[in-house]
Amino acid sequence: MATAATTQQQRAAEINVTVRKQRSLWRDAMYRLVRNRAALVGLIVIAFAALVAIFAPLIAPYDPLEQNGPKQLMEPIWTQFFGSKFTDPAYILGSDELGRDILSRLMYSSRVSLIIGLVPVSIVLVIGLTVGMLAGYVGGVVDDFLMRVTDVVYAFPDLLFVIIIVATLRGTALGEAYDGLLIIFVGIAVVNWVGVARLVRGQVLSVKNREFVEAARAIGAGPGRIMRKHIFPNILAPIIVTVAFAIPGAMLTEAVLSFLGIGIRPPTPTWGVMINDGFLVFSTTPWPVLLPSLCISIVLLAFTFVGDGLRDALDPRSKM
Amino acid sequence: MLRYVVRRLLLIIPTMFFVALITFTLAHAAPGSPFDRNVNRPLSQETIDRINRYYGVDKPIPEQFVTYLGNLVRGDLGLSFTRQRPVVEIIGQGIGTTFQLGAGALAFALAFSIPLGIISALKQNTLLDYGSMLVATIGTTIPSFVIAIFLISIFGVGLHLLPFVGWGSWQHMVMPIFVLGLGEGAFLTRITRASMLEAIRQDYVRTARSKGLRERAVIVGHALKNALIPVATIIGPATAALITGSFIIETLFNVPGMGRLYVISILQRDYPTIMGTTLLYAFLIMIANLTVDILYGVLDPRIKVR
Repeated sequence: MATAATTQQQRAAEINVTVRKQRSLWRDAMYRLVRNRAALVGLIVIAFAALVAIFAPLIAPYDPLEQNGPKQLMEPIWTQFFGSKFTDPAYILGSDELGRDILSRLMYSSRVSLIIGLVPVSIVLVIGLTVGMLAGYVGGVVDDFLMRVTDVVYAFPDLLFVIIIVATLRGTALGEAYDGLLIIFVGIAVVNWVGVARLVRGQVLSVKNREFVEAARAIGAGPGRIMRKHIFPNILAPIIVTVAFAIPGAMLTEAVLSFLGIGIRPPTPTWGVMINDGFLVFSTTPWPVLLPSLCISIVLLAFTFVGDGLRDALDPRSKM
Repeated sequence: MLRYVVRRLLLIIPTMFFVALITFTLAHAAPGSPFDRNVNRPLSQETIDRINRYYGVDKPIPEQFVTYLGNLVRGDLGLSFTRQRPVVEIIGQGIGTTFQLGAGALAFALAFSIPLGIISALKQNTLLDYGSMLVATIGTTIPSFVIAIFLISIFGVGLHLLPFVGWGSWQHMVMPIFVLGLGEGAFLTRITRASMLEAIRQDYVRTARSKGLRERAVIVGHALKNALIPVATIIGPATAALITGSFIIETLFNVPGMGRLYVISILQRDYPTIMGTTLLYAFLIMIANLTVDILYGVLDPRIKVR
């Protein structure tokens, strides 16, 4: 690689022209992405949330499960300026109905949210890519199978389908593993892989008869190589955009499930669990509900901004 | 066209079969039964046997499924485990409320999204455009239950302006309809704007303008008519989304509709009700999707339905 670049520069020097630094599609897209202000803010928020999630045990002032009986339902410290008598400088954002520190719980919650955003979406991506590529490129049985499965899965309202899976299998060993995390992974993956597979299939169909694929075939590349080296890089852009929107989608699913009381098992803190817990005392003090609601809104917005930015960056023609 | 519609309608049958099969299998894979919830006062074996016989759950599972399908064809969804009444009757009571809520939300969503989308497309890259797009992004991104929580804490708990439990008077309907319609309307705003932007750049709009039509006639008569085709077709799935998506809102505001029934039956493991509501939801979604595909062909003659 380096030698090729040098020769190119030497040649340029010889014939006395300046070589414009080559910019790949991805570098271009990255440039457009960070120039988009909303997307940049989104990226910063996500990076911040990720840091909080990773270092939660180091920076959280309390154990998120530690209960302090006499210090129940403290309000955030700024409320003392509005006349609240229930504040304590030791609990910056206040405490919940069991006297647990809300700030610490919010910090630990971001861990679950990010895991939910990453793991099931990766599973979805692997299954969706494999099935979609095979269905699009090879066709035949895999294609027929995919189309029939799609018909059925699309007929289910997606969130309700996840709810059925999670709710019915909650009592099994699978449902109890990792405080209910595993069954949520399964639910999200089962429902969402179809959409990715359909997308990949459509994309493969649209490129598989293009000249560059034919050229690769003509020089004797096998189907595996064509799919990996020629088709995959050319269909990557819409897949990246889909994944960018799938991550907040998965986070939202967890929040809804936990909010309904069939998601992550308390006392493990997640924003959804905190909202559900806080509802018991909502008429006394709204903070145990409002603060996690705010956190999830900010993180979801950040991901949406990045997703929108990615779509604009990767496909300058789209205007939505 | 007719052949296409008939084929699509026939395709609903196998799909419904699989939806029923999956839900049924999941329900029976769940450990325990809804009748063993009280650990301190276990029922006698005799009572359990009698209950199981009464609900027909003592037979082998494949046989139960066949019986269920047979009843389903005749419009019988079985007996609720927890309410001792036919599921059809329970759903019938809730569905009206859910449709009321959905219709209200749809009307609200259309009323603000279409004008907003058109205006922000016509005034692209102005402050107005950025403002409405920001509202649309927030509306599509922030979960409905979070928006509902904020509204309840302001208008319900804080100002005591609106009731937030129950259904009936118009005051009860304001917040649920607003929250449910906001997300869908925000989405429709984005669609309308994108579609309008596409339309005003078309050649036929330039033609209309160059032959000297007034700006108003160009926008309303030429651009808008075409721009609204994708919007019109999205209303089908939007309605389906409103009806199936209302379960969170109904649970939160204690609205006695189908969505709340669904959540309650899931928490109580009332499988006949879960199955009945799921099948109805699936049916509604398939009808909505079919309507869209037909509508596409009718509204836009350029699209040929296969």
